[in-house]
Amino acid sequence: MDVEMHPNGNSPTATNLAAALPTATPTATAPSSKLSQLAESLKLEHQFLRVPFEHYKKTIRANHRIVEKEVSAVISGVSDAADGDMSQDEAVQHLSSIVSRLQGLKRKLEEGTRTEHLQAQKCRARLDHLESVEVENLSEWNNMRLKRILVDYMLRMSYYDTAMKLAESSNIQDLVDVDVFHEAKKVIDALQNKEVAPALAWCADNKSRLKKSKSKFEFQLRLQEFIEFVRAENNMRAITYARKYLAPWGATHLKELQRVMATLAFRSNTECATYKVLFEPKQWDFLVDQFKQEFCKLYGMTLEPLLNIYLQAGLSALKTPLCYEDDCTKEDPLSQESFRKLAQPLPFSKQHHSKLVCYITKEALEEMASKNNGKIICPRTSLVCNYSDVVKAYIS
Amino acid sequence: MELSTVKDAFDRVAKKQKLSTSKSLEVIDQIGHEIEQALSNIQTIQDPAYPVDRKSILKELKTKLNEIGPHKQLEGSQKELNINLMKYLKVLERVFIPDISKAYRNVDFDSHTVNQIIVSHFYREGLFDIADLLIYEAGEPEAISLKSHFMEMHQILEAIKDRDLQPALNWVSSNRAKLKQIGSDLELKLHRLHFVEILQKQSQADALNYARTYLAPFASVHMDEIQKLMGCLLWVGKLDRSPYSELMDPIHWEKASEEITGQFCSFLAQSYESPLNVAVTAGVEGLPTLLKLAIVMAAKKPEWQAMKQLPIPVELRKEFQFHSIFVCPVSRDQGNDENPPMLLPCGHVLCKQSIHKLSKSNTRIFKCPYCPFEASVAQCRQLHF
Repeated sequence: MDVEMHPNGNSPTATNLAAALPTATPTATAPSSKLSQLAESLKLEHQFLRVPFEHYKKTIRANHRIVEKEVSAVISGVSDAADGDMSQDEAVQHLSSIVSRLQGLKRKLEEGTRTEHLQAQKCRARLDHLESVEVENLSEWNNMRLKRILVDYMLRMSYYDTAMKLAESSNIQDLVDVDVFHEAKKVIDALQNKEVAPALAWCADNKSRLKKSKSKFEFQLRLQEFIEFVRAENNMRAITYARKYLAPWGATHLKELQRVMATLAFRSNTECATYKVLFEPKQWDFLVDQFKQEFCKLYGMTLEPLLNIYLQAGLSALKTPLCYEDDCTKEDPLSQESFRKLAQPLPFSKQHHSKLVCYITKEALEEMASKNNGKIICPRTSLVCNYSDVVKAYIS
Repeated sequence: MELSTVKDAFDRVAKKQKLSTSKSLEVIDQIGHEIEQALSNIQTIQDPAYPVDRKSILKELKTKLNEIGPHKQLEGSQKELNINLMKYLKVLERVFIPDISKAYRNVDFDSHTVNQIIVSHFYREGLFDIADLLIYEAGEPEAISLKSHFMEMHQILEAIKDRDLQPALNWVSSNRAKLKQIGSDLELKLHRLHFVEILQKQSQADALNYARTYLAPFASVHMDEIQKLMGCLLWVGKLDRSPYSELMDPIHWEKASEEITGQFCSFLAQSYESPLNVAVTAGVEGLPTLLKLAIVMAAKKPEWQAMKQLPIPVELRKEFQFHSIFVCPVSRDQGNDENPPMLLPCGHVLCKQSIHKLSKSNTRIFKCPYCPFEASVAQCRQLHF
């Protein structure tokens, strides 16, 4: 009897037997468990449906606002005419201009409806995509999911060209949010050039929602503008600016406001640490980060890229002390330095039950025995023994 | 998965949106119609000396527009739409997990490392343009190192798709020593594919010639295989009706591609599957469990961020099982070098420390916890997986 197989005996014969590619582990899982797992994983797709919907909602609201505004203008135009004293010609001209204004509004509304329609289609395409997944096309579907996750990562990292190219070449434009991030790109580019105007415009555009989430992003932008006036030693303008744009935030953010106002006394070349940081260029990077967060919140996206979230979960679930041993299989991502580096701050997985991975399959053992007169060779130690001498070990 | 509920909710939104738009158009048309009517009335007034008429038309127009109550109409349809928009968001929140970052550990996730992993993934997938663009946009020049290797691999695979084996054979012959060392018969497999192609498309003499040049050297080791292939010579041009028709199955080409990919990656010290794909797929499978855990542990967030090991197992499918792990059924400890699994004479396996305890510090014979068998420590043998 001999069951001992010594580790670390990576003799040439060992690799020889393991050469059956790709992996020796069987992949068959009961379809029902696969289906329930699939349902679980679909539940993770909230952002996938939410983002295009937020976009759609935004367009609907904007279009509606235009209609309301124009209709009000028309009504008050008519009132003006009715209450005023116009000559025949004036009245005709006035009414004609209102009529053409209405026609313009109609055109705008039709255009807006087209956009709404396209965005609704996008929402539908995503629902259909979620519905299309089946056990039969799972690997293809998973491939597409990885691409979606990668596009999301690249958009958040501002690698727009790569993101677009990947989306186009894989024909998944409807399944990724390139257009939504286009809006972000303008603001981010401007902030990187130290311009706040597009960011302020964005804040105005989304005023009610930012207010609801108690965002102070606009305040932070205003503070930065103020700092720039102080930097340029344009103190009078700085004060006028502060009166107009900073003062309204005093009730809620007095401390920060006071701190920034003090820079008028300290100036941009101050060595006083509290105020020095306010003049540092990294404040602009901070604004970019802040914007990204506000932007993600508004569209119902996770604050972290999806890729990071999935990678963390995956690496944690895969991480065992065995991954760090010299003979760790190459198929384990954690055999690679780059993945080990990412997994370093993550917890190890927990095991409640023993799990054995056959070095070679049982069939392989029997086949070997039949070819070698009932003898088998231990793949690790090259020890030769009879197949009948192999015993079962009970491991629970 | 209640996808149909979600779809229904969305259909309602789309319907209300259409209604709201047509309402808007209707209101605009109504207003336009009234104004145009008033306009033509004014224009038909014959006597400009009676301004009262003009005035009364305008006043009448104002009252009519007020009667239409455009704002009220617009508001009404918009309100219904709004209700459905909100409802849809609520359905999404109920059916899906609204925030999948709840289990995220706030650590520095080095973006350079992530970028390099992505670039390697693209190279491996043959998406060279995209990889290069990412290197440029992300500024990761050093990530290019694997490019030439994977390019060679994809050239070989592309050629195989076109039934051209030459690049594959070139690669095999330049790696012959390494392939031989691991006992691979890849070269014979490639020649066999080529030989079968010739049998179908060219003459018997061509096939024989090929066999003499390329198959003969394998005769000493793979006699069976060569004999079978020689048998095929009798069926030139009608191989599909021969006992060897199985050799024509395109699956052999696919298998050859897979095997080359495997060997190629293994010589590069890379895995067969994309490690990024493996890690992300494992993440998709593991995340639901981790999110449930995060909810349970919500009150202990700092602990969650700091723990060294997950408190519960995250079950993954078998294909993510890369290591044999022994967990002692008595102590629930994970086996390691200091505390290895031990095989009792009855075949049950416990960890060394459990046996130590059961035998009162190795001094007594003890009963197996799972069967009536008795054993001494000396009879227990260490297991290696």
